[in-house]
Amino acid sequence: MVVTKLPDISAAQLTPGVMNRMTVVLDASHGGTDPGARIGESILEKDVTLSLALKLQSLLAARGFTVAMTRTTDAADKPGAAGTPLTLDDRASIANRARASACLQLHAASSGNGVHLYSSDLDGMPAEAAVMPWSTAQAAWVTESAHLERQLSDALRRSGVPRVAGRAAVRPVDSLTCPAVVVELAPESEDLNSVNDSAYQQRVAEAIAGALELWPTQTQPPPRLPPASQKPKTALTQPAPRVPAPIVRVPAAQVPGAQP
Amino acid sequence: MIHRHQRIVFWCLVGCIVAMATLLVVERQRGRDRILALGDQTPLEAPTATTEPVTMDFANDADGSIHAGEREIALPTDENARARALIDHLIAQYAQAGSAHPLPPGSAVGEVFLLPLPVVGYATDPKTPAALHPDRRATVLVAPKASDDPNAPAQPVSGGELAVVDLRSSFVDQHPSGVEVETLTLLSIIGTLHANLPQIEQVRFLVDGAERETLAGHADLTRTYTSRDTATPFHTGDN
Repeated sequence: MVVTKLPDISAAQLTPGVMNRMTVVLDASHGGTDPGARIGESILEKDVTLSLALKLQSLLAARGFTVAMTRTTDAADKPGAAGTPLTLDDRASIANRARASACLQLHAASSGNGVHLYSSDLDGMPAEAAVMPWSTAQAAWVTESAHLERQLSDALRRSGVPRVAGRAAVRPVDSLTCPAVVVELAPESEDLNSVNDSAYQQRVAEAIAGALELWPTQTQPPPRLPPASQKPKTALTQPAPRVPAPIVRVPAAQVPGAQP
Repeated sequence: MIHRHQRIVFWCLVGCIVAMATLLVVERQRGRDRILALGDQTPLEAPTATTEPVTMDFANDADGSIHAGEREIALPTDENARARALIDHLIAQYAQAGSAHPLPPGSAVGEVFLLPLPVVGYATDPKTPAALHPDRRATVLVAPKASDDPNAPAQPVSGGELAVVDLRSSFVDQHPSGVEVETLTLLSIIGTLHANLPQIEQVRFLVDGAERETLAGHADLTRTYTSRDTATPFHTGDN
């Protein structure tokens, strides 16, 4: 576990966080040459996640959300670089640049049934430092992520969809600077093919979209610490992160639609 | 007309050829036996006791839970070998028919290294080549320098250990894909190590000696996990 110590600072010095409240990021996991899990004989995880993402995109757009997708076709290529596969860190970068009020990472599996919800199992932090380690950037958002996970879980329960919720370490959720939840779609019944059933996916998508409808008024970005004049006091119990690039900070004035 | 001495030379040569061929076959067989002995996948020490009780954290895919179970197994005395034997035994249980968390059979762990904590830094020894990769330098741990400042806080010494579990790619490549199933495998390994080797405080995973992003596309293998009791449901719900 990486432990990050915040510098001693009074609450008055904190600045409000930045968030595009009507923006949601949908990350349809896998894609292209990465099929993900094989469900049953012929169903590929990448196809299920894309199908669910497109359904969610339509429902959220109809509710006035701006939806940022990591992919809208089978191919998972870097934006503007066709043929270059999208890495997990690229997906996190797309989500972080959107400054969204919710980031949903969509997966599918053959084990269990219903919908599995996971948020990061990092230890939470009360505020967002000016520069966060890439591998633990989610720490300041853990509380909001758990809150979003509960909202989604309640909505799925009301829709009669079996669901489990928990915390797990799933790449690249720990690098996201937004309320982030992993949504893993499992078969509705013993029949593995039910995971690809359009009506089932639509029911799940409508439950999620319904939960997100009120989310912009319920969430609050964590406050931000002012940039330190000296190197932040970070105590790492492991070597420097594998991807040491800091999160790109975009001034609030340059973020369209940004609201404190 | 072939002279007698020519016949003698001929038969001597034939004899030499037969002898050399026999020698070649025998040496080839010896070399093959030697290579097979080197490739033996059971380099564990012989157990000093017959069996001993161990606690294992078993995963269940049906409800996403982990429960503790007691087993009697023979373990070596060396700590590293014990850790490896524990994980191998755990994975072997999952490979059995009817397992609640079915995993592919075969050896899962190449090696387990236990390092003292805190890991304070790394340095490359310019003289010593790594044992497995002679073209690379060995990585050695460096102790913290003693501070001249008498008011400087003392370096924390936990006495715990970091377990670096080097998984085999043959196991990882065959591992079922999915957030839940992958997380359960990692938690099961972490919980089993914690239950039997409590001095382990942190666990890291490698695959064939190198870092890999995920186990099978989902669970994070790049982070350092805190060793803890995982024999509790890691999620809640109605499933």
